[in-house]
Amino acid sequence: MKILAMDSSAVSASVAISNDTAILGEFYTNTGLTHSQTLMPMCEALLKNTQTSLDDIDAFAVCKGPGSFTGLRIGIASVKGMAMALDKPCVAVSTLECIAYGGANLDGIICAVMDARCNQVYNALFRCKDGELERICDDRAIAISELEQELADVNEKIYLLGDGVYITKQNLSDDKYILPSSNNVYQRASSLALLAERKFKNNEIVSAEQLMPTYLRLPQAERELNNKKLNGGIK
Amino acid sequence: MVEIITKSVEETEQLGEKIGAALKGDEVLALYGGLGMGKTAFTRGIARAFGCEDGVSSPTFAIVNEYEASKTIYHYDMYRVTSWDDLYSTGFFDYIGNGIIIIEWSENIENAIPDTAIRINIERLDDSVRKFTIEGDVDL
Repeated sequence: MKILAMDSSAVSASVAISNDTAILGEFYTNTGLTHSQTLMPMCEALLKNTQTSLDDIDAFAVCKGPGSFTGLRIGIASVKGMAMALDKPCVAVSTLECIAYGGANLDGIICAVMDARCNQVYNALFRCKDGELERICDDRAIAISELEQELADVNEKIYLLGDGVYITKQNLSDDKYILPSSNNVYQRASSLALLAERKFKNNEIVSAEQLMPTYLRLPQAERELNNKKLNGGIK
Repeated sequence: MVEIITKSVEETEQLGEKIGAALKGDEVLALYGGLGMGKTAFTRGIARAFGCEDGVSSPTFAIVNEYEASKTIYHYDMYRVTSWDDLYSTGFFDYIGNGIIIIEWSENIENAIPDTAIRINIERLDDSVRKFTIEGDVDL
């Protein structure tokens, strides 16, 4: 079966086409947030260069979140539109799981982190062994300081992956934290396609109408956004 | 910290242009000060420094205006932004680092202003006289 996978959930964007467990092609860019201009041309070019017709696609895959507000909506709207027009099923995958899959061949704990701004990250932890990922916790939004406390007691190698690695690593000094090479840091549509293929087989599919982004509430939401004591105050 | 006095709307625009000329293109400028302080005139000056001559207006209703210039400028008005969810859904965090962000009513999102932001407080001294207090990494 053929899957067209699209990701524009954060700073990078990518499109991949898989046939069963083989990747037929992948187009990846990391040039800032211009996904509304680049995602569909990338998709078109990839279809053309892999000589794939949209009619050959059996399912569409997309990262459902967490991620950037506009980025998620661009990816999901694009997939929703194509799947609806072609009446094909969709597979929605956690962005953090997609990130972690890039390190599935490692041995240890994978800490997937995405920059959620204001010293917070979107995070999930996985244990990887023999090419398989085992989820340790649900996707969550967490302060970096809190994540650091949580990981302090772990006596295994911890691989940091995702666009939040640089901001997270600044705060973590221990040798047990390992940064992969930069080609494995960001989520890739090829990982998304392979994860979606498995999920499809497990019948974890949704219709185009059901496809929705998953936003995670930030822990800071409990805090005041404004500062009423400041000069000027509230109108 | 720098303090600058302007004595007319024109001088406020000129100050904006001077500050604009000193920017790299990815800064966050947080403006503080109430109604009628000249925030929009000041922003017009910054936009002019990047070759954007017109179209600058207060984004009170749109929440964010985007000006295509030699560097993209995102002009925010946070007056109606009152929660973190509101702020997230304006795309504010997506724009940081991808252009110049100028924020009116920064008071409303004080706890989301990046530490590296240039903070500009505007105070009324007289009908047409304003005092600008500028804090942050900008060479004037």
